[in-house]
Amino acid sequence: MISVHRIRPIIKKEFRQVRRDKRSLGVLLVVPAFMLVLFGYALNYDVKHVPLAIYDQDRTTTSRELTDGFLHTEYFDRIATLTSEHQIDSVLTGQIARAVLVIPVNFERDLAANRSVKIQVLVDGSNATNATAAAGYLAEMSQDYSTRLSLDLLARNGFGRPTLPIDYRARIWYNPELTSPKFLVPGLIGFILMISTVISTSLSIVREREKGTIEQIIVSPIHPMELIVGKTLPYVLISLVSTSLILLVGYILFDVVVRGSLLLLYGEALIFLLCGLGLGIWVSTVSTRQEQAFQLATLVSLLPTFMLSGFAFPIRNMPWPIQALTYINPARYFLWILRGIVLRGAGLEVFWQETLFMMLFATWIIVVSWNRLRRKVL
Amino acid sequence: MQKVSIEAHSLTKRFGSFTAVDDVSFSVAKGEIFGFLGANGSGKSTTIRMLTGLLQSTSGTATVAGYDINKQPEQVKMRIGYMSQKFSLYADLTVAENIRFWGGIYGLTDAKIAERRAWAIQTAGLEGREASLPSALPGGFKQRLALACAMLHEPEIVFLDEPTGGVDPIMRRRFWDLIRQLAEAGTTVFVTTHYLDEAEYCNRLMLIHAGRIIAGGSPQELKTQYIQNPVMEVETDRVIEAMNALSDDPRIEETSVFGTLLHVSIKPEYNAEDVIKSVLAAHNLPLHRAERIVPSLEDVFIHLLDQQGVTSDAS
Amino acid sequence: MRAILHILRKEFLQLRRDPNIVRLIFIGPIAQLLIFGFAINLDVNSVPMIVCDLDHSLQSHDFIARFENSGYFPIVAYVDRIGDIDDYLQRGKASIAITISREFGRKIAKGEPAQVQAIVDGSESSAASVGISYAQAIVAGYSQQVMLAGFARRGFGMLRPISVEPEIRVWYNPDLRSRNYILPGLLGMILMQATVVLTALAIVKEKETGTMEQLIVTPVKTWQIIIGKLAPFTIIGIIDILLALAGITLLFGIPVRGSLVTLGGLSALFILTTLGIGLFVSTVSSTQQQAMMTAMFFVMLPMNFLSGFIFPIENMPKLIQLVSYLLPLRYFFEIIRGIVLRGAGLDVLWPQVLALVVFAVGILTLSAVRFKKKLA
Repeated sequence: MISVHRIRPIIKKEFRQVRRDKRSLGVLLVVPAFMLVLFGYALNYDVKHVPLAIYDQDRTTTSRELTDGFLHTEYFDRIATLTSEHQIDSVLTGQIARAVLVIPVNFERDLAANRSVKIQVLVDGSNATNATAAAGYLAEMSQDYSTRLSLDLLARNGFGRPTLPIDYRARIWYNPELTSPKFLVPGLIGFILMISTVISTSLSIVREREKGTIEQIIVSPIHPMELIVGKTLPYVLISLVSTSLILLVGYILFDVVVRGSLLLLYGEALIFLLCGLGLGIWVSTVSTRQEQAFQLATLVSLLPTFMLSGFAFPIRNMPWPIQALTYINPARYFLWILRGIVLRGAGLEVFWQETLFMMLFATWIIVVSWNRLRRKVL
Repeated sequence: MQKVSIEAHSLTKRFGSFTAVDDVSFSVAKGEIFGFLGANGSGKSTTIRMLTGLLQSTSGTATVAGYDINKQPEQVKMRIGYMSQKFSLYADLTVAENIRFWGGIYGLTDAKIAERRAWAIQTAGLEGREASLPSALPGGFKQRLALACAMLHEPEIVFLDEPTGGVDPIMRRRFWDLIRQLAEAGTTVFVTTHYLDEAEYCNRLMLIHAGRIIAGGSPQELKTQYIQNPVMEVETDRVIEAMNALSDDPRIEETSVFGTLLHVSIKPEYNAEDVIKSVLAAHNLPLHRAERIVPSLEDVFIHLLDQQGVTSDAS
Repeated sequence: MRAILHILRKEFLQLRRDPNIVRLIFIGPIAQLLIFGFAINLDVNSVPMIVCDLDHSLQSHDFIARFENSGYFPIVAYVDRIGDIDDYLQRGKASIAITISREFGRKIAKGEPAQVQAIVDGSESSAASVGISYAQAIVAGYSQQVMLAGFARRGFGMLRPISVEPEIRVWYNPDLRSRNYILPGLLGMILMQATVVLTALAIVKEKETGTMEQLIVTPVKTWQIIIGKLAPFTIIGIIDILLALAGITLLFGIPVRGSLVTLGGLSALFILTTLGIGLFVSTVSSTQQQAMMTAMFFVMLPMNFLSGFIFPIENMPKLIQLVSYLLPLRYFFEIIRGIVLRGAGLDVLWPQVLALVVFAVGILTLSAVRFKKKLA
C-alpha cells in the first residue's frame, strides 16, 4: 500500500523547493545557529559589574576599607562618588548607577568603639532579578566584613586568630560556573526546533493547497500517507541537521558539553520533532491562507515553547492554572529531558515518563491532524 | 495625418545584461486602437510599463499626450488610464467604493464622481450591484469595471496590458465592443495582447519579438505586405505526414498546421494547386480539399517569426 | 491634497472589513498582557531547600532554623542519606541541599570546625547565585555568633558582636517584582507587533494584488500613498498603548509615576520608527510570506531578545550591548521604564529621545526612498 518508490519523488521535490527558496532555507538552517549565538550571549541572568555609586560621609581609612572590599569583587564597579544627598536621586533616576552605598558619618568611630553600624544601600529595583542578586551580594559581603571585624576584635583582645567554627563548603552542580548559556542552550534547541518544524510544515502544506498543486498530487495514485511522509521527512532531516549545528555552536562558543548520551538526545529530539510536525499538519488543516497558517503556527509553537516550558521563566513561579497548562505542553517535557541529558548526564531511567508523554502527544496530534487532513483533501 | 497621441523614439530597457526592449520606435494617432502583439516575454508589457511611468527607460524617449514620459511624468499621469491583466481593484471595497476611491485619486470633484459613477456602472453593466464586492462578480464584469475605473477621469489615452486574460470568449467580445466605443469617442487605446484574433480588432499593430519590432501596420497591410505568396488551406487525413512531405518540396516556402488543416505557402512562380496535388499524390497521401485563402494574422506572425529564425509557438 | 483624504477613507474602509482586526487590536495585546503579567515571574524570593541532617543535634536544629527563619529557603524535604539529594536536585524539586555532617553539634561545642556542605543546582543560574549569597551570609552570621558565644562561655565575658548591617532599601519597585519590569516593556512590544508586521503586510498585499501598480500610474504622490498606508496603524498603535496602559495600571497596579503626556508623545515618536521599519520590510519583500518571515526573524525576534525586554542589556557582553544601540526598541524600553517606574522626565531621558528621533527620521527617509525607487 505505502511504497517507498512513490514517496521518493515527493521528498526530492520538497528538498528542491526548500533549496531554491533561499530565505526559507536560511530560516531553517542558519537562523537557528545565529539565534543561538545571539541569544546565548544576550539571554543572560548573570549579574556582574553592577554600577555602584558610593556616598561616603565618613571618609576614613575604615570606610575606604569597606568600600574597597565591595569593589574588589567582580560584582560591583564604582561608577560615581557622590558628595551630597540629593545626588543619590539623580544617579538612580538617570540610570547611572543601579545601587548606591551610603556610609554614615562616624562609621570609623562607632566601629572602633565596638558599636554596630548600619550602612544604607539603595537599590534600583526596576529590574527585580538584577536587584535581588545585587541585594544578595551586598548581604553576603557585609556579613563577611562583620565576621572579619569580630575576628579582629578577638585578636585585639588577645585571643589570637581563632578558626571559624563552621567549615562551610558550597558546591555547585550541573553548571559550576553559574553561566546562563548552559541553562538556556538546551531550551533554545527545543524552541528553535518547534518553531521551524511547525511553521515550515504548515506553510508548505497550505502553499500547495493555495496553488492547487495538492489536488494534482491527490489525483495521482499516491497514498495520502505517502504524501505526508514525503512532505515532512525533509523537514525532519533539516531540523536534525539544525540541532547538530546548535549543539556544535553551543560547544564551541559556550562550552556546553553534552554529558549524557548523544544517541539518546537525537532520539528524544526526533520524538519532539514528531510533535512539532503533527502540530504543523494540524495548523495546515485549520488555515486556508499562508498568512493565517503563519500566525497560527507562531501562536501554537512560539508562545508555549517560549513562555510555558520553563525555557527562561521558572514554572514553579507561575500561578497554578498556568502551571497546569504547562503539563500538556510537550516542550516542557522536552526541555526537561534535554537539560537532563546535556547538563546532568541523566539517562532514560530519570525521564522515561516524560519520554512516554511526548510519544503519546506525538501519536495523538498526528492521528488527529491526519484525520482532519484526510477529510479536508479527500 | 491625424494628431499624434503617443510617440516613442528608440525606447530601450535593459535589466542587467538582458535587453527587454531594444530600440523601439513608433507613433500612435489620436483615437486609434493600437495593438502591441507578441508572445509572453517579448517586451510588450515592459514597453507599456515605460509609457505609463511604472518603469524608467534605460535610453530613448517617448511622449504621451504631448508630454515627455521621463521629464513630465505628472502631466502624463493626469492624461492616461491604465489597466493590467491582473485584476487591480480592491477586493475588499464594494463596486461603488472602488469607483469613488479611484475617482478621488484622480482629483475629481464629488459631483463629477457621481456623474462618472453612473457612467461606469452602466458601462460595466453592473446596475443594481453597486454594493457587491468585486470578488462576487463574474470575471468579465470585473474586467469591465476595472476598465471603467481606469477611465473615470476621461483620459486621452488608455493603456491596456493584456486586458482579456482569463475571460471567456463571449465576454472578450463584449469587452472589445467597449474598447471600440471608447476609440470612437476619441480615446486613444494602446493595447497589448497575445491573442491573434483580438489583434484583428486593432486599427494598427506592431509585432514585437525579443524586444524588437519586427513588423507594423494595419492588419490588412500586414497580411498583404508580408505575405505575397499565395496561401493554400489543405485538408487531409494524415496531417503530419502531409506536412513533412510538403515542407521537403523546394517549391513550397512554408507549411504550418492549423488544427486539422495545413496552411501552405507556395512560391509565386508555381501553380499552387498543382504543386500540392502532385506532392501529396507522390507520397500516396489523400487530399480532400485545397483552396486558396486570405492569410490570417497567425500566418503572418508565423511567417515573420520564421524569418527571424525562431521556431516558437505564436500564442 | 484631497487625494490623501480619499486614500485615508479607503484604508479605513478596508480596515473595517478586515475580519482579523478585532483580534489584532484587542485580543492580541490583552492576551499578552495577561500571559506576561501572570505567567512570567522571575522573582527569586525563595530557593527551595532540602536538608540532610546527619547529626540531629540541638546545634544542627538551631543551624537549620536559621535558614528556615530567613524566609529565603523554604525546606521542601528532609533526607537521611546523601545519595537522596541527587534525585531531588535532578527533578528540580529543590535548588539547594544542605548537608550537616555527623558530630556537628559535638564539634561546635568543642570549638572545632564542624563541616557543612551546600550543594546548589547551578542550572538556573540566577536563582543559584542569589541562593549562594544568602546561604553564605546565614552561615557567616551563625559562625560569628557561635564564635563569640564560645568565648563568652569560656569566661571571657560577653563580647557583643559588632556588625556592619546593610539596610537595603529598594527604590521604584520595592516588592522586587519582575512583573514591574516586564509589563512596561510589553507596551513597546505590543506597539511593535501592531505596527511592523501589519504595515509591511498591508503594503506587500497591494503589491501582490496589483493595486499598487494601479495607484502608481495615477497622479497620486508617493508620500500620499505612504501616509495613507501608515495612518490606520498609527491609530491602532495608539489604541493598543492606551489599552495596555490601562491594563498595567488597573489590573496589575503598576502606577505611571511620570507624565502621561510625555509618555504619549514619546510613544507616538516610537510608532513612527516602527512604521518606518514596517515600510522598510515591505520594500525588501515581494510576497506576504516573505514579509512575515522577514519581520518575524530579522526584526521582531532580535529586537525581543536584544533590547532588554526581559533580559537586561547590562548583563550582556559588551559587543552585544553595542549591537543593542542600533535597536530603537532599546531606547523606547529605557524611556518607558524611566517614565513608568522612576518618574523620569525629558531632562533625564533626552539622550534616548534624541536617539529615537534620529532613528525615526533615518528609517523613514531610507524606506521612503527605497519605496519610491522600487516602484519607479
